[in-house]
Amino acid sequence: MDTPLVVLVVLTSVAVTSPLYEMIFGKKSLKYVQYLTILSLLVSLILLISSTLSLTPQESTVPHLLRNDTLGSFFSFIVILVTLFVSITSFDYMKGNPNERVYYSLLLFTAIGMTMLCFAVDLLVIFVAFELMSLPTFILAGYNKQDKLSNEAAVKFFILGALSSGILLYGISIMFGITGSTNLEVISQSLTSLSPDMLPFVIFSTVSMLAGLGLKLSIVPFHMWIPDTYEGSPTTVSTLLSAATKKAGFASAIRIFAVIFPLFYFDLSLALAIIALVTMTLGNLAALTQKSITRMLAYSSIAQAGYLLIGIVVLPYTNLGLIGLLYHSFNHAILQATAFLAAGLVRLKTSSSSLDSYNGLSKVMPITSFCLALSLLGLAGIPPLNGFWSKLILFSAAVDGGYAWLALAGLVNTAISVAYYLLVIKRMYMDETSIKAIKEPLIFISVLVFATAIIIVTGLLPNVLYDIAEDITISFLANNPV
Amino acid sequence: MCVGIYGLIAKRNAIRLLFSVEIIINAAIINFVAFARYHDTPLITGQTFSLFAIALAATEAAVGLAIIVQAFRLNNDIDVLELKKLRG
Repeated sequence: MDTPLVVLVVLTSVAVTSPLYEMIFGKKSLKYVQYLTILSLLVSLILLISSTLSLTPQESTVPHLLRNDTLGSFFSFIVILVTLFVSITSFDYMKGNPNERVYYSLLLFTAIGMTMLCFAVDLLVIFVAFELMSLPTFILAGYNKQDKLSNEAAVKFFILGALSSGILLYGISIMFGITGSTNLEVISQSLTSLSPDMLPFVIFSTVSMLAGLGLKLSIVPFHMWIPDTYEGSPTTVSTLLSAATKKAGFASAIRIFAVIFPLFYFDLSLALAIIALVTMTLGNLAALTQKSITRMLAYSSIAQAGYLLIGIVVLPYTNLGLIGLLYHSFNHAILQATAFLAAGLVRLKTSSSSLDSYNGLSKVMPITSFCLALSLLGLAGIPPLNGFWSKLILFSAAVDGGYAWLALAGLVNTAISVAYYLLVIKRMYMDETSIKAIKEPLIFISVLVFATAIIIVTGLLPNVLYDIAEDITISFLANNPV
Repeated sequence: MCVGIYGLIAKRNAIRLLFSVEIIINAAIINFVAFARYHDTPLITGQTFSLFAIALAATEAAVGLAIIVQAFRLNNDIDVLELKKLRG
């Protein structure tokens, strides 16, 4: 059974039909749409896990559009899990919004695009999936139509997002011109027998594709939209953007760079290392001065993209890089989702996302504060939590790959980042508040607690995920020797 | 391609920015068709890709115009430099 196709069919069937239920069932349809969305996401999670366990490694000889491998399953597991969290918490967050049914449909379309992007091995499918992932998020970012901030976020996101897909397409067209194919396997074969005078075109094409994908990966020269969009759009949508679409972008970046790396790995690797360094430094320094928690988390998300990029930098040198990248992707998705959703709940209840509204929060919203505090500690990389282990692997991969200075910069950055994470926790637990006790909605809280449980469990049992990531890395590199 | 990039840098009207992006996409589409002809063996991939790209560019324009129309309703202006409430 072909995993990606089955998952896509399950999700598409719900996504396409759910806006129509209003015609058939009237007012009650909202409940049906919500339950169907959850159900379809759960079914696809189960399908992914069960078929990945029974997956036999196979040599693909025919050029395919989608490849059914464990790397894709791993990333699509992450994105569907995050989408599940987002859609459950949206029950409360989006309550009373007109067109709520379309909201869930758009969430599912984003999930379809991301799943396709995780499995795609053909530049055509990568481009289509990239668009399918981006277009619903433009609409979702501006979902509060009457809210000027939400609209501004959507305009900024749209203009840069459209530019990124244009540049990605241009890069793909050059690559097609050089190699005469859009399939990554065929491209990697024809790149090995490339005449040297074509090299500038390959570089141009690589830079274009990096710029196109970089906008989704939120690496530095292309990060301008991130803080604005994350702050302005509904916080559940920011969760989706930061925790899910970024991971799908990384899945695709791994596949593309694994093909291009053999050609000029030293230059490309060095360039990416510099980008990673700038990304994490700028993200962390900018986060220090923020007044609003969503902006702070946005900059921290940029910084984390810098750490993740280390995994791609050392791809030609050591296996550890890809292991760390996979491991940190999972951890970062869960941590960032928890932090953003907790911030969303606070925004819902106090209608403010400024850091001042977090003073003394632990007394009025104890569970939310606890989850937020744990996820922030995890993002900072405090030892018993999962963020520590994956950062450790990434930094040791940097040392292994001969980029000791990058690991050093990463450590310094982690130290900086602890400052602003702890500042929020200090506000929540030490300061006094004037707000009265707030009732925390049950469904929302249970999602937060579940995500926090994942953080603690994977932190205490780091071996499990490490072994999974190692298996995936070995089978991926066996198919794509870098 | 260059015209599109120039447009994105120099213009402030959101609709003009949208046009500039369309110009970049069209440049890529022309590339696809040209490269498909240029190869020794005729390739259908280039034409297929350009059809996909045209359709996606159209959907992108639809979504973008919807967002820009809403921006105009809220602000009575689509000058992108006036959109600066979110900063820090």
